[in-house]
Amino acid sequence: MTAERLLSYFGESRFVPELRSRSKDGVLGEMARVLADEGEIGDPALLLEMIRRRESLGSTGLGKGVAVPHGRSTAATDTRIVFALSKKGVDFGALDNEPCRLFFLIVAPYEDRKHEYLPLLGKIVEVVSDEAVRERLLQVDSFGAFTQTIREAFGE
Amino acid sequence: MSDRVQRLAQLQDLELMIREVEDPASKMKEEALGFSVEGLAQLQNARSRLLKQIPKQDLRAYQRIRRKYDRAVVPVMNRICLGCFQALPTSVTRNVSEAGPLPICENCGRILYWL
Repeated sequence: MTAERLLSYFGESRFVPELRSRSKDGVLGEMARVLADEGEIGDPALLLEMIRRRESLGSTGLGKGVAVPHGRSTAATDTRIVFALSKKGVDFGALDNEPCRLFFLIVAPYEDRKHEYLPLLGKIVEVVSDEAVRERLLQVDSFGAFTQTIREAFGE
Repeated sequence: MSDRVQRLAQLQDLELMIREVEDPASKMKEEALGFSVEGLAQLQNARSRLLKQIPKQDLRAYQRIRRKYDRAVVPVMNRICLGCFQALPTSVTRNVSEAGPLPICENCGRILYWL
């Protein structure tokens, strides 16, 4: 997967430079509303229910300050990613018990016709496994800076 | 959207998640990425609770459609059924009464979920 391909799932309207919420549930709701506000999903309630259920299987807080809540839902028509930052950090029940600061909400349609969901999830995990990339992502203050950081992570 | 369609959409999403957790390949892929995927019993309990909230006739319709298609509840966008991609006649609306029929695509027969 190229940087451009990965970036096609993000968007300026899906970039949240600072989350207002300080709780896990609040963060999930705030990120789901981003998709609802831009018309990607009709009603965030269905999506939120699916995301919460997925979290009940085990926190998607991977550790090292990163959380990747994700799932497939009838409410979604296309695969989309919301990227959000929380400088103060949020207790997300992460594996290392550290607060999460980088959030990637991945939402895919019920039918994953292009079989892109799991590879996409894998690519995000791979990108944020690099400490230098995580440090740079924590500093981004615009969507342009975010896309630049992702391109650099791909060596472009 | 009506509560009746909302519950069927919830059921569909929940059943998809249960299938993913039950599927060893899918579960293994997620776990290999570092995600914990436990709690199948919890999902099955949630499904049982949800089934009790769904009117019997709605559940029968959902199960009948599921026998034909993987996805019984499909989104509607710009008056297009995203199950069969046919335009919906104006007679089909998002308004569903508590006792009336579910909104159904006249072409493919799937239950319609308005975005």
